[in-house]
Amino acid sequence: MPGLLRKGRWACVLTAFFSVVVFSQEKIQLCAACHGPEGNSPDPKIPSIAGQPKLFIETQLVLFREELRKSEQMLPIVRGMKDPEIIKLAEHFSKLPSKGMESGKPDAALLKTGAEKAKALRCGICHTADFGGQNQVPRLAGQRETYLEAEMRAYRDGKRSGGDTIMAAALYGVSDADIRALAHFLSRRGGP
Amino acid sequence: MNKLIAFAVTAAFAAPAMSQAPAWHQGKPPAQAESKLAPHAGKMTETPAGEIHVDKLKLPAGFKAELWASGMPGGRAMAISEDGKKVYLGTRVIGRVYEVSDDGSKRSVRVVVDKLTQPAGVALKDGNLYVFAIDKVLRFDGITKSGDVKPVDMTAKFDLPKEQHHNWKYVAFGPDNKLYVPFGAPCNICEPPSKEYAQIRRYNADGSGKEVIATGVRNSVGFDWHPKTKELYFTDHGRDWAGDKGFEDELNKVSKPGGFYGFPYCHNNGTPDPDVKKAKACEGVTKPVLLMGPHAAVMGIKFYTGKMFPAEYQNTAFVVRKGSWNREKPFGFDVVNVRVGEDGKASSRPFMSGFQEGGDSYKFWGRPAYVAQMPDGALLVSDEQTGAIYRISYQSPKGAAKKK
Repeated sequence: MPGLLRKGRWACVLTAFFSVVVFSQEKIQLCAACHGPEGNSPDPKIPSIAGQPKLFIETQLVLFREELRKSEQMLPIVRGMKDPEIIKLAEHFSKLPSKGMESGKPDAALLKTGAEKAKALRCGICHTADFGGQNQVPRLAGQRETYLEAEMRAYRDGKRSGGDTIMAAALYGVSDADIRALAHFLSRRGGP
Repeated sequence: MNKLIAFAVTAAFAAPAMSQAPAWHQGKPPAQAESKLAPHAGKMTETPAGEIHVDKLKLPAGFKAELWASGMPGGRAMAISEDGKKVYLGTRVIGRVYEVSDDGSKRSVRVVVDKLTQPAGVALKDGNLYVFAIDKVLRFDGITKSGDVKPVDMTAKFDLPKEQHHNWKYVAFGPDNKLYVPFGAPCNICEPPSKEYAQIRRYNADGSGKEVIATGVRNSVGFDWHPKTKELYFTDHGRDWAGDKGFEDELNKVSKPGGFYGFPYCHNNGTPDPDVKKAKACEGVTKPVLLMGPHAAVMGIKFYTGKMFPAEYQNTAFVVRKGSWNREKPFGFDVVNVRVGEDGKASSRPFMSGFQEGGDSYKFWGRPAYVAQMPDGALLVSDEQTGAIYRISYQSPKGAAKKK
């Protein structure tokens, strides 16, 4: 009897394991459809997720699922998603290399303003000196410009929260022009 | 509306000239400008039981820790039903309140309510559950008996101010049957933007009869009442960015309502703040009962009245220190036992540790947050990092003389 029970338990564990793997492959393809096959987004409005810190991806997927970060596109994808699946997806995309995507010619004046603003606002303290991100704090280097600009404005205008109010406070009073410069600069940062 | 909020935020930061810094970041001196210290990341996903290292926990001889419940990401303050069969847990970022049900041999978990803005405060009164989010108060009538009930929205009764920082709650009913609610300062260090902050209030259970019972309180997220004197003891977080030595977190006492506890002008046992200055900064300030250590993040407190632990623990307090972030070397990450003498003097000794294993560098697998007492006298300790509850029990070591 104990042997049978143990076998039953193993079968259960194996089924769970394979269902997570199969499920993840399907979900990975679903992610790739918008975020790019390797997680580097071909669409300037959609963020790249390759090379983002694992904890950042996990946290954002949970926030989407809990509807604390509101997104019509993301909610149907993550609705009902279990934590182990979220962790698997985060692991997968965090390990893919981040590649800067074609974003048009850099504007020297905008780059300069953006670099100055990033320094003044001390973005690098949390997002790290190369803007590669850490833990729950996202990579900004090489992120899509249009996306970065829209999200920074949303934070500043109180339209994106979730988690805490740190980014709203960090971007308080920053002008549209400076946000544009920041996005221009950060999207063109390379680095591993 | 947004403009209003933004204005209040600026006002809150106006004291030192750093108008754009996030609240936790504000007040940083030039010497620490390049510091990489930042609040630790919370964990939003379930930690499997096998990854919770309860075997690493250290306790005095005779005490034992076991994993009592898990799978409640972000779970922190606990409210226990009288029969001990239901435990409700508040959370911050993940926006949920959990209900843990105990059938005597195992525990099951369900989400009572979600999508709230940091519903950290939970309290039970006559079988009704009170949930305090930053911007909402809900009451679930008869929840301990009837399970899935629709909440009554009590928000309008409680005059919640609009700033969010440090306004996640700990709430509890006192021996006077009043509901005690703290309102933190919306900054690290500042003159609060209005009089609604940096204070503890009490209300009747229906939200009427608001009364401010303590002011100058930076950020209290834990309190309990002494079983004999019935005085309120509250924990309070000291300010950040003033160096590794402090200012220290505090354990304070309310002997009579209306005391001023020093924020933002005076810290520790009478040290003026270096940034927000005032003549005679420490005059009229009610000093702490006990300093709890620099950046310790002192959280839950519970006076022990159970029968399970040795007599020496009777009426002493278990106080949780979730652990520092604004300090080069880690401090806290433990539960201490505080004894208050007849003369009112308090002292503390270690009780539970083992969460932080990196020595002088940060490497922790858990962060204890709150303590609660079960009807059988066992202690529950919640861990906000692993989303788990540990049960601490005591069995007299073999051969030890039993004392009555």
